[in-house]
Amino acid sequence: MSDEELAKDLGPLAALTIGVGTMIGAGIFVLPGPAAAAAGPAVALSFVVGGVISLFTALSASELGTAMPKAGGSYYYVNHALGPLFGSIAGWGNWMGLAFASAFYTLGFGEYLASFAPIPALTVAGVGLSSFQVGALAAGVTFIAVNYVGAKETGRLQNVIVILLVAILTVFAALGALQADLSTLRPFFPPETGGVGAVMPATGLVFVSFLGFAKITTVAEELKNPGRNLPLAVIGSVVIVTVMYAILMMVLMGVVDWATLGASKTPVLDVADIAFSTLGVGAVGVGLLTFAGLLATASSANASILASSRINFAMGRDRLVTPALNAIHPRFATPYRSIAVTGALIVAFILFGEVKTLAKAGSVLHLVVYGLLNLALIVMREADPPEYDPEFTVPLYPVVPVIGAVSSFGLIAFMAPLEIALSLLFVCGGAVWYFAYARRTATEPGILADYIHSRREELPGPAVSAASSVAPTDEEYRVLVPLANPEHETELISLASDVAAARGGRVVAVHVVQVPDQTALEFGAEHVEQVEPESETLLESAREDAATRDVPIETHTILSHRSFEEIFDAARTHDADMVVMGWGEDAHGAPGRAESAYDELTQSLPCDVLLFRDRGLDPSRILLPTAGGPDSDLSAAIARILRDRSGGAVTLLHGADDEAAGRAFLSEWAEERGLGDAAQSVVTGDVEAAIEDAAADHTLLVMGASEEGLLRRLVTGTLPLDVVGDVDCSVILAERSHDRSLWERLVG
Amino acid sequence: MTDPLLGHALVPVASPEDAEATGRAVFPRVAAVDGRVTALHVIEKAGGAPDKAGVEQREEYAEEVFDVVRTHAADADVPVETKLVFATDVTEAILDAARATEASAVVFTPRAGSRWLSLLSGDTSSELVKRADRPVVALPEETDE
Repeated sequence: MSDEELAKDLGPLAALTIGVGTMIGAGIFVLPGPAAAAAGPAVALSFVVGGVISLFTALSASELGTAMPKAGGSYYYVNHALGPLFGSIAGWGNWMGLAFASAFYTLGFGEYLASFAPIPALTVAGVGLSSFQVGALAAGVTFIAVNYVGAKETGRLQNVIVILLVAILTVFAALGALQADLSTLRPFFPPETGGVGAVMPATGLVFVSFLGFAKITTVAEELKNPGRNLPLAVIGSVVIVTVMYAILMMVLMGVVDWATLGASKTPVLDVADIAFSTLGVGAVGVGLLTFAGLLATASSANASILASSRINFAMGRDRLVTPALNAIHPRFATPYRSIAVTGALIVAFILFGEVKTLAKAGSVLHLVVYGLLNLALIVMREADPPEYDPEFTVPLYPVVPVIGAVSSFGLIAFMAPLEIALSLLFVCGGAVWYFAYARRTATEPGILADYIHSRREELPGPAVSAASSVAPTDEEYRVLVPLANPEHETELISLASDVAAARGGRVVAVHVVQVPDQTALEFGAEHVEQVEPESETLLESAREDAATRDVPIETHTILSHRSFEEIFDAARTHDADMVVMGWGEDAHGAPGRAESAYDELTQSLPCDVLLFRDRGLDPSRILLPTAGGPDSDLSAAIARILRDRSGGAVTLLHGADDEAAGRAFLSEWAEERGLGDAAQSVVTGDVEAAIEDAAADHTLLVMGASEEGLLRRLVTGTLPLDVVGDVDCSVILAERSHDRSLWERLVG
Repeated sequence: MTDPLLGHALVPVASPEDAEATGRAVFPRVAAVDGRVTALHVIEKAGGAPDKAGVEQREEYAEEVFDVVRTHAADADVPVETKLVFATDVTEAILDAARATEASAVVFTPRAGSRWLSLLSGDTSSELVKRADRPVVALPEETDE
């Protein structure tokens, strides 16, 4: 079996149980009391309405999921289609929504635990905790610990739990139905609750029961045959759960009248007692349903914690949160920080939250995400980028996503002001987060922005300027170019200008002048002309070269006792996103220095780095060898920018043991990076020799560094591929920045 | 001798920290016999249930691990290949990889850890020794001299 198949090992049943397992927990075991009180027997209709609204979004999620089977699910689609502003809102909304929902599930677990275990109420640090909350805290901490340590057995347990749950509930429903009396269901729309008008507000209350289906999309990348299994699981789980909810609500309220049920602390257990009494085993029924309640709430909470770490990962990948959040634990191999942060939020919500508010706030946030998800589908269909090729398509487009969006946003109106306000806080928080932090770090503008940008002549001006005013920071994409040798100045500035222009940014040219240690920097600063007469000439021609390309530029002369190190200090002070520097015989006098200095320096690149070996900048025939990995993403982006600017052609080269697998990898890799039309070549033998051969027919070789410490190797002469020195064309080596901490991003 | 013990070492690495410690211990010894190294990272799959972390996330992590290995290999001037496999049984995967690459030995540096940690995360080292079909070499962690 290939690795690819092994990596994707989730079958349709496992996928279905993620959805059903999450959803079945809440509605049946925690909500029947409040739901019965809210709308009487008609609450069964509320569940059907909730199910139908979910179904529209489930169809849209299925299409997006089969087109983009990526970790992160809903967040990923919204961010990809609508850009990082909405991505931030969806990401935070989804994350917080899951934390709210997890706290709600965990409190439900606490209620079931307290129904038979003598858990004391406590007062901790001045906060009075009910026995529910104490039980919930203990359970919450346990769920978080299990995920932190990451026992793989818990995942497999999920299948068993869900099958067991469905079995118990089926028996319960059948026995209950025998005890049900249709007259108890009358009036179907009790006037005390507001009659028919109570159905929609009750839908708002019970909607938290439907939050599971989208979680399947967060693990889409692990599904076998996602084209078939993803829609099957997503849509199937919504249908199964809706039917079960509707039947169970009718049974519950057929056995015990709604008013009694609504007032009961343990409505399901009351009904279980009666239902199982027909067999003379009422106590067994109560025990069985208590057990089921524990399983259901535990599996819901567990799946939510898992899904939130996937969303964190996807947000980190798009640089909407610091990737440090997604560090993997060296021993447990779990995203432990993400789990710990989510865990802390859940604990806080358990301490200060109330079941109904948590459920509804969680619902509102999810509804916002679902609404955006439907809009994302419309954008993808309208913009129709070439790589968008879903295996499953929604029927009756655009009716389905339009109804999906309208009904998702519309249902929010039936929530209480407090819950809406609470959620709005997080939505605004997401937007504020974007403008304050993520705008500078986000990597992709999104399909919508690309689309508006490409049609800016046809579209109304306000739409275009609105799009560009929220785009990831334009002006602030800064490309720093340290200049040394006047001979290479024009080529370096051209390259930097191309990159800056593609990102709508600016070039910062610096001339680092090394002054002897004996010379005070202040003295030098006042006497630049004397210290380095060429400096002004060099920077002047840089300004002219940038002007011919219509790219804004600023120039600085930097005096330093060091030269090479100063470049990276300058990158930090000028907030550079990329450094484009020459490399060769006489650039920056690099080699021959103490290795330790470079070691320290290159261990933490503050920004992306392009090293340019200048033999003329002619991007008409670009050779792009790739082995995958983050550095090759950067080299791919550079190749694409240069190709688009010059109208040149790109040839991709990939070394693989197996030619067929290599081809499959390369074509997918190319599609994902917008290089689908590039010529592709897979070699099975000596990759270095193949690159050398191919380079003879090309004008420019663009390579990802593919390993940390590129610069160090370069200056110490241990570059992994000698080929770089052997080819005759110009070479660009690309190395991605190593991650900075959140603090450095905020302050630096 | 035509087939030294460390002629072709299969080196399982679990984390960047592990790769650092193992790299320091393994590469000088392999270099001494002109050997080569295949570095192996196993991504543990739950086998039909959602994993602890997403596949893509784990692949990025594997790349971090391999980066450390490659740095050490370059420093010691030892040819190195990297191999990434997905498996539900880590020990089995290591031994399979050793067979597939015809490695002369499986070489690792035991990670310090208390007994309860081993219990929680599975004691791969002792499993490896028990089920081995070729030499398994445990090297002590090199401390800075």
